[in-house]
Amino acid sequence: MDFDLTPDQQALREAIVRIVDDNRDLPRSGGVVEPRAFHPATAMEQAFAAGGYFDIALEPGCGAVEAAILVYEAALSPLVLELGGAALVAPLLTGEALARPVAMARAQDLMRGVRFLGEARTVLVDCGADVAVLDMTGREVAPLDSPYAYPLGRLAAAPDLSAVRKLPGKGAELRRLWRIALALEIAAAMEATVQFTTDYVKQRQVFGRPVGSFQAVQHRLSADAVKSRGIYWLAMKAAWSASPLDAALAALHAQRAIPDVTYDAHQFNGALGMTLEHALHCWTFRLRWLQGEMGGQRGHAAEVAALAWPDAA
Amino acid sequence: MEFAWNAAEEAYRAELREVIATLPDDWWEAYAPHGPSSPKLMEHARRFNARLAQRDLIVRHWPQEYGGQDASAWQQIIISEEMWSIGEPRSSLYLGANWAGPAIMKFGTEAQKQKWLRSIAAGELLWCQGFSEPEAGTDLSNMKTRAEPVDGGYVVNGSKIWTSYAARADVMFLLARVGGKGKGGVSCFLVPMDTPGIEIRPIQGVHSRWDFHEVFFTDAFLPADALLGEEAGGWTIVQTIIHYERIGAGRYEKAKRGLDHVVERLKERGLWDDPVVRADCAAARALVEAARLQTYLVIDGRAKDSDPGAETYLARFAMIQADHAVANLTSTYLPDLLIDGADGHLRSQFNSAITAGIAAGAAEVQLNMISGRHLGLPRGA
Repeated sequence: MDFDLTPDQQALREAIVRIVDDNRDLPRSGGVVEPRAFHPATAMEQAFAAGGYFDIALEPGCGAVEAAILVYEAALSPLVLELGGAALVAPLLTGEALARPVAMARAQDLMRGVRFLGEARTVLVDCGADVAVLDMTGREVAPLDSPYAYPLGRLAAAPDLSAVRKLPGKGAELRRLWRIALALEIAAAMEATVQFTTDYVKQRQVFGRPVGSFQAVQHRLSADAVKSRGIYWLAMKAAWSASPLDAALAALHAQRAIPDVTYDAHQFNGALGMTLEHALHCWTFRLRWLQGEMGGQRGHAAEVAALAWPDAA
Repeated sequence: MEFAWNAAEEAYRAELREVIATLPDDWWEAYAPHGPSSPKLMEHARRFNARLAQRDLIVRHWPQEYGGQDASAWQQIIISEEMWSIGEPRSSLYLGANWAGPAIMKFGTEAQKQKWLRSIAAGELLWCQGFSEPEAGTDLSNMKTRAEPVDGGYVVNGSKIWTSYAARADVMFLLARVGGKGKGGVSCFLVPMDTPGIEIRPIQGVHSRWDFHEVFFTDAFLPADALLGEEAGGWTIVQTIIHYERIGAGRYEKAKRGLDHVVERLKERGLWDDPVVRADCAAARALVEAARLQTYLVIDGRAKDSDPGAETYLARFAMIQADHAVANLTSTYLPDLLIDGADGHLRSQFNSAITAGIAAGAAEVQLNMISGRHLGLPRGA
């Protein structure tokens, strides 16, 4: 076993981190974060596109781990960029670079709300056994106002999925890859939440002491850090192993951790954390949406149970 | 990045399983449920450890000069997984192999290394750990047991408490105060348990009748060569070994096998079709696998000879949560199987779990360490 990145992976990670760091500033008005539900990472998207990073999973010698590094590192940013679908799920599912952004949706969610649906040029639709590849050209999407820190939309008219490109028998593989991307995005948003909150409680004083010097705060943040790091390693192993069980474990552990971590972060950031002028929501209100993506924990738990303890034939 | 075992590691695990296959048929009923400190298991461990030693299986990860085979730290966690998951048939030999041995290797004289390390590799000695005192548990640096320097050695007076294995151990890794108050006065000693002046009182625990003891030292004379490292230099040794102690036993693997057994019993009782039950078991499995990977991260650092960082405390806390998640499944869905004699496997896992947050440093201490060393939060008032 070797938990270190290879030299090539490390070099890739460093290049990604440079781009993320160069493009992570939130737009401000007079020093205050512009109060928006989410901030698109336009410049970061252009930098990744110019460097060919969206196709990293298809590069010779690269694959899911390299795509996972990209998805995780970029999702640490407070800015929003669709990468899980375009850089990890679509290329590994189809062997192609599909027109991006690439949204992912369960069929029943297309008329309810899907993240990135309005921006997406392709949607991978989980139809159970099969996958429908929905070309979004000419399709009308209604944008949705919400507290979530993602752009959300729903189709204005129900699509005829029988008339679009199908990937027969690929439904399970879509869910495996989607779970990896989901767990990586949760791991990153959670890590950023913990770090942002840690920085805040170090400097915010109450009763003449930093908030972060109180053990009641320290222990909960520490327990949240344990969750965040556990999710990261489960997700990276799932990317490495190609095991459906590993992917379901990662997604399950990730979604289960969200309520505690988001609750703690907002408690410790106080009223400031309830404002759009404080950056905390950029991660916590992504987490709140991700908590229910793919239908929430139920599907992952059922998958873990079925794969870890199969019923006798 | 690589998450698979190599061929040598797989072969080592297979060899261990060959020896494990020699355990008595009634292992789960008669030995494991009572814990690795029970008289029956400790007595059996002396024979079992000899079988391991015959095949040089105990400390493969040590240097050859001390009885090892220069294998990586991964082999230490493999033997820990295989042994801890079935109730630790080595008994307290594992203390010697996991952390007392490495401490002696790092801080001992050559004579101490030859004496103690060889005996650990040969599986000859069962160890106990003389750390906690009635007024110094989590606050270890408050310990009061004294070792007064005298001609030719030290005279020890004081007492230790919650000492597992003490009644049948051969040697104690003792902390005693030679210097003044606080961390600076602590010294480490290697003490044969038949030293005159040592008395042992068993304390019955809720999880085991044999696990706890109080150990009294009354003018117990220790020769000078019992001192490990420098006089009053013991805190440095403690700081080194706690990483090996906290991440040594393969608790997540015992939790994983316990969970597999829970599911077997749930299926037998027709409870497995309940989606709530399945979801609870799945969530526990996720905790187990997260703990496993966080532990492996620590072992990876050990294998690369990196300084242990905060990952030790993150992994230990994750392990505690995994252990408890599985024990809670048993309590919730199969409570009658914790009755004496009902299911030794589940009883063994439950007993391990309920001590997990206390042994090797309280869970809250792990969180304190994460706060300071991982998050960099300021100390409280």
